[in-house]
Amino acid sequence: MADEHTVTVSEAFLRGMEKKVEDLKTLTEMSAIISSTLDLDELMSLVMERAKEIMAADACSILFYNRETDKLEFEVAMCREDNTCEVLKKRISLDMGQGIAGWVAENRKPLFIEDVSKDDRFFQDADKLTGFITKSLIAVPLIGRRGLIGVAELLNPGNRGYDPEIFQLLCRQFAIAIENSLFHKESVERERLKQELDIAAVLQKSFLPESPVLKEGALTASAMNISAAKVGGDIYDFIGPANGKLGVLIGDVSGKGVSAALYMAKIISDFRYVAHHMETPDIVLERMNTVLSKSPRGMFLTAIYMTADTSTGEITLAAAGHPPFFLISGESVEVVSMPSGPPLGIIPSEYPSHTLKLKNGDRLIFVTDGVFDAKNKKGERIGFENITEFIKFHPGADNLMDRIIEYVGDFSRGTERADDLTIVEVRWGG
Amino acid sequence: MKIEISDYNGTKVFGISGDIDMNSSPELRRELLDLVVRKVPVLLVDFKGVSYIDSSGIATFVEGLKGMMPYGGRLKFFGIPQGIREIFSFSKLDRVFEIYPSIEDAFNR
Repeated sequence: MADEHTVTVSEAFLRGMEKKVEDLKTLTEMSAIISSTLDLDELMSLVMERAKEIMAADACSILFYNRETDKLEFEVAMCREDNTCEVLKKRISLDMGQGIAGWVAENRKPLFIEDVSKDDRFFQDADKLTGFITKSLIAVPLIGRRGLIGVAELLNPGNRGYDPEIFQLLCRQFAIAIENSLFHKESVERERLKQELDIAAVLQKSFLPESPVLKEGALTASAMNISAAKVGGDIYDFIGPANGKLGVLIGDVSGKGVSAALYMAKIISDFRYVAHHMETPDIVLERMNTVLSKSPRGMFLTAIYMTADTSTGEITLAAAGHPPFFLISGESVEVVSMPSGPPLGIIPSEYPSHTLKLKNGDRLIFVTDGVFDAKNKKGERIGFENITEFIKFHPGADNLMDRIIEYVGDFSRGTERADDLTIVEVRWGG
Repeated sequence: MKIEISDYNGTKVFGISGDIDMNSSPELRRELLDLVVRKVPVLLVDFKGVSYIDSSGIATFVEGLKGMMPYGGRLKFFGIPQGIREIFSFSKLDRVFEIYPSIEDAFNR
């Protein structure tokens, strides 16, 4: 007779308990793996490798949901042959609802399929392309706090004794871990980008003239440049004075960020080399156009270059797809839109010169598109017309550049500056 | 931004909608350069749905055009909304790109 502490259980119950203990061990082990790393690739490889082992599966994969294209794309594929994985990653994407993974993604429900040949949803193209033969599969949706992340699949699992509930529980944990590592990756990337942009902004500033004001005789050239958070690639430069002339450049490099800042650095050094003989602006821009014709990635520069005779106030200008400028004479404000060639670095072109004679007290105001393209909170742009009206309203303001910058700042208050703002003023006499 | 690729009497057409800017231009670049590598003789670009294009977007088309020019390929734009037409004319880009009012004009000329 059994004593009072002995409990008799059936063998089946005992096996069931053993299985539960095994499952819990697996769950604990997987939880440890899942929380061991924030590195996305490492996390996915570790978890899927172990899942494949436990389930005695031939292969496994994770498809990520691409919100922009509304498709599922292979992110991880673990197969016996590396080549098969490459084919999957490069060539296969599934629409929502397409194939088993597409069905799982669309319905947010797992599928356990014993024989795929009897399931109409099975997408055969992947097997055809890779040569892999899928007989059975488990597909589980990975759902995080931000919604669907993707679908995890195990192909030809040999272990049929698994507990689907444990499996799904693991997948939920796994989805959250993937999401955390995606957050981590994004924040590291953001920080790296910010640092790069900070360097780009410093780089950009380092190529601008040391002093934003250059005075020679009765002529004063001054500039204001405010960098956008993303670095817009605006440039200005003063050349000379030499041979009784002063050269003034304002320009805007296409694109933003590090590439624009680096390209701007090249442009400034090319420009200083091309312009140092004080040749006429048409010649300088034509040469710059040739120099920049091999620009990478279609990059180009819009610019106005002018030379000013420091003893007579005679100005010669040429333009390359740059916005018009303003001539302020007393109370009158004229928008000068002179014949211009296209931006520099695109196609061979001529850049005709235009001459004007400044009177005592006359001013020229040049701007980049960041000034009139600035947006307000509603997403409306300030517009060239409004900048023109503003200048017409304040033609005599001594600190006109500051006033314009202030006006743009007020208009776009509460928004991140999307582009650099640059204003150059050339003043003749009092 | 979305790009719909279609065919008009045997000529490839890109129907673009949304903003073509620094974020979206890499996708446009991929699609465009894919055609340039295959030396497609003519590409028509439908701008009707484009709400905004910045200089990164324009540079992407410049890169495409520069890739097509050596083999005599032609990049033709049509259906450009007024606001974007102004940007093109303001910056003299209408001298760089072939611009047509309609797909028929773009195709026939």
